Amino acid sequence: MRALASEWYKFRKSGSLWALLAAPLMGFGGGLISGLDMLEGININQWYTPLFGANLVYGLLFLPLITGVWAGLVCRYEHQAGGWKQLLAAPVTRGQVFVAKYAVIMLLVLVMQLLYLAALYAAGRVQEITDPFPLDIVWKSIFGGWVAVFPLAALQLWMSMMWKSFAAPFVVNVIFTLPSILVVNSERFGPYYPWSQPFSMMYIGGSTDDVFFIPWEQLLTVVGGSFVLFFLAGYIYFQRKSV
Amino acid sequence: MMGKLLRVELMKIRRKGFWFLTFLGPIGVVALQVVNYSVRWDYLRTLSDDHWLFYLENVSGFTPLALVLGIAILTSFMASIENETNAWKQLLALPVRKTSVYLAKFTVLSGLLFLASVLLCLATLVYGLTLDFGGGVPIIELLEYSFYPFFAALPILALQLWVAMVSENQGWPITVGVLNVILTYSAFSLPDWAFWKWPTLLNSWEEPMYSGLMGLGVGLVIYMVGMMDFVRRDVK
Repeated sequence: MRALASEWYKFRKSGSLWALLAAPLMGFGGGLISGLDMLEGININQWYTPLFGANLVYGLLFLPLITGVWAGLVCRYEHQAGGWKQLLAAPVTRGQVFVAKYAVIMLLVLVMQLLYLAALYAAGRVQEITDPFPLDIVWKSIFGGWVAVFPLAALQLWMSMMWKSFAAPFVVNVIFTLPSILVVNSERFGPYYPWSQPFSMMYIGGSTDDVFFIPWEQLLTVVGGSFVLFFLAGYIYFQRKSV
Repeated sequence: MMGKLLRVELMKIRRKGFWFLTFLGPIGVVALQVVNYSVRWDYLRTLSDDHWLFYLENVSGFTPLALVLGIAILTSFMASIENETNAWKQLLALPVRKTSVYLAKFTVLSGLLFLASVLLCLATLVYGLTLDFGGGVPIIELLEYSFYPFFAALPILALQLWVAMVSENQGWPITVGVLNVILTYSAFSLPDWAFWKWPTLLNSWEEPMYSGLMGLGVGLVIYMVGMMDFVRRDVK
């Protein structure tokens, strides 16, 4: 717990919190751009258009990519001037440090999701949408996107601990994220590709019977499986990393 | 002095992944189409009569994204050579002008991106030839789709280099890079004056060359502004 508090403190003081603002910017911009003219004459809840348009880009590219930025930022302090040595000389286990850093990333993503939600709502109000806000569906999408990021954040934390350079883990992130533009179109491969899960989980057109927009089996095997794999691999790597 | 600076920059980027990325970008863009075409060639065949042109359009669907991401990554790498080792002071204590240092970095980066465009052109051609398209290769379109995006992306390169060179925290340029990618991906909804749209070569005149020319012009302007800001700042 104290490891977590110290991670949070370091992050807060690093002046990187501004990056959180990118998310509402996306939500507001995306919500405005994907205007309403597209759906004229069709009788559905007007909120669906901005939600649809903004979620597409947000879930497909922004969320996976920005998670990597957070992972890089929480390791930045230690990569400068031998910070790893100092941190690990303190009475904390390496496991605690890893978990604390991971928790900070996931906390940031959660805050980002909420800001995004708020911005999307604001964008809708600006356009004077009068229909009731479909909150039950939107929660699924916002929370689902957060859950889908769990494995990606674990991989990015691992990569960020490995490389001193900020851009190197980002390269890994890009290599895996870009193909999902093609993968999401495929019914055969889409469900199995971890990097397309944030999109699937935020895609408001999915089936609404389950808790999330994807079936439980897919959630547990693809998201859960890749999470266990990446988290353990990163954890073990960090245990053995020489500082 | 410029020649020496360029040689120095080229030496500094050795064994850091620059060359690897320069190759990876274009090869990756074409590799996505290799997957696309080998999985569903039967379906894609039905979508268009001019198979070559359709293939070029498919490839160029990813070119802008790869280009913009490549720019973000390479510029950040470029700036972190000095950032990580606190070498700015040493470099600028040498009898070199700050403008020359900035120009050298810009030149090396645009050289790498141009090389990537050449590779894209070759890789597109080679994979296209292995597919059974029929008809001749549309050389003009191939060259347009390979090289105009490079020129059209110069404003983004100039902007990223500026942000990367003046920020100590490389989280800044990468975040800006993510936003650039998102804007490029949303090019369909953007107006013509937004330079994120230009690498896609879409414009209301339906003339790809305009995207390239505007990119060259605006790129130079942003480059000048970025360079002046870099010169004005104190060395960290």
